[in-house]
Amino acid sequence: MLNDIKILMKSLSDIDVRIMLCKSAFEWELLAKKYNALRDEIEAFCASGLPEDVQTALEKTRAYLVEKKGELPPLDLSDFFK
Amino acid sequence: MGLIKNIGNAVKSEVRDYLLKIVEAEKEAPKNPEAENVQKPAETKAGQPKVEERPAVKEEKVQPERVEEVEEVREKPRKKEIYPISNDLEFVRVSYKKGQDSVIIPKELAELIKMLPLDEYACFVKLYCFALEQKKNYGYWGGTLKRRIGLDQLTTSEFEELGSNLAAYGLLLLEQLTENQKTFVLYVPFDEDTMVKLSTAKKPEKKPEKPVKKPAPKPAPKAKAEPEEETQCAEDIPGKPVEGMENDEMYKSYKTFVSLEIDKAKMRVGRANFDKIYMEAVKYIDKKYGFKVLSDSDKFKEYLTNYYISAFDIPTFENWKKSKG
Repeated sequence: MLNDIKILMKSLSDIDVRIMLCKSAFEWELLAKKYNALRDEIEAFCASGLPEDVQTALEKTRAYLVEKKGELPPLDLSDFFK
Repeated sequence: MGLIKNIGNAVKSEVRDYLLKIVEAEKEAPKNPEAENVQKPAETKAGQPKVEERPAVKEEKVQPERVEEVEEVREKPRKKEIYPISNDLEFVRVSYKKGQDSVIIPKELAELIKMLPLDEYACFVKLYCFALEQKKNYGYWGGTLKRRIGLDQLTTSEFEELGSNLAAYGLLLLEQLTENQKTFVLYVPFDEDTMVKLSTAKKPEKKPEKPVKKPAPKPAPKAKAEPEEETQCAEDIPGKPVEGMENDEMYKSYKTFVSLEIDKAKMRVGRANFDKIYMEAVKYIDKKYGFKVLSDSDKFKEYLTNYYISAFDIPTFENWKKSKG
C-alpha cells in the first residue's frame, strides 16, 4: 500500500514538473485532465480518508494548475460569440 | 476753370505716382534685406580693411538662420490648411467575413483618396491592405502598426503626423485611449457581402477629453460581488442562450455587442492589465465552480464571459434590451 501511494505521489510530482514546462492551453488541458484522473484515483485508493500530506500535495498541484492557467494567454472568446 | 482742373489733375497724378513708388519700395525692401546687408560692408571696405571682415562672417552665420525662420513661418500655416475631403463619412468598425485574395479599392474610396497628398495616400493604402490582411479596419495606433504596415523608416513623430493628417482629411478616426495608447478606425465603404458591421465609431469632436482609465485591480472586488448578481442574471450569459432564444436576432446582436465590449475593454485597460484580470477570473472560477470547470472549455468560456460582463460593467441582456427600447 505504501508503494502504491508512493507511485501515485510520484505521478503527482510529474504533473508539477510538467506544469512548469507547459506553454499552451492545449497542454494545460491535458495536464488538468490527468490531474483530475489522478485525484480520483488517489481518493479511491484512500477511501477511508486522505492523509494530510497527500491532501496538501493535491491542493498544491491544483493551485499550480490554476496559476498556470491564469498565466497563459487569455482564452480567445471570438468563436464563442459566433 | 479749365486751368484749375488741369492743375488739379496734374497734382492727383503726381500724388498717385508718389504713392505707387512708396508701395513698390516697401514691397521690395523685405524681399532683399540680405542684398542691403552685403552692400554695406563693401562700401566701408576701402576705409577699414581689418574691421570689415567681421561683419561679413557674422552675416554668413546670420543668413541661414533667417532663411530657416522664413521657412518655418511659411511651413506652419501649410500644416493647418487641411480640410476634410468629406464630412459625411460614417466610420464603422467592421470585420471582413473571410480573407481576401485580392485588394480591391472601391471606386468611391479611390475617388476620395486620390485627393490625398502622396505620403498620406501611401499610408492610407498601406493601412487599407493591412485592414484586409487582419480582417478588421480598426486596431491600435502606434509603433507596432508602423512596423507592420512597412513604415519603419518613419520616425514616431512623422507617423503620428501622418495619422493626424489622415484624420484631418476625414479618412481615419484616431481615439486616444490612455496617455500612451491610441486606436484607429480606417474609413472603408461598408459592403454587406464581405463585411460584418460591429459598431459605429463616433467622431471625437464632441469628446476631446480622454476616456476614463479603469484601474486593473478594480475588477477583483467586483468579482466578489458577482455571486449575488449571478443568480439574477444567469440567463443573461451570452454563452448560455435561454431556451428558444438561440435564433433570436436580438440575442445574436447582444452577443456581438458583448464581444465588442470585451474587445474595447481589452484595448482600454491594456494587454498587461487584461492578463491580470484574466488571471483573477481563472482563480475566481476555480473557487466558485470548482477545478473541473477550468478544464471544461465550454463551461469555462461561459463563466469567463460572465466574469467579464461583471468586471467591465457590460450591460446584461435584459438591461441592454431595455436600452435598445
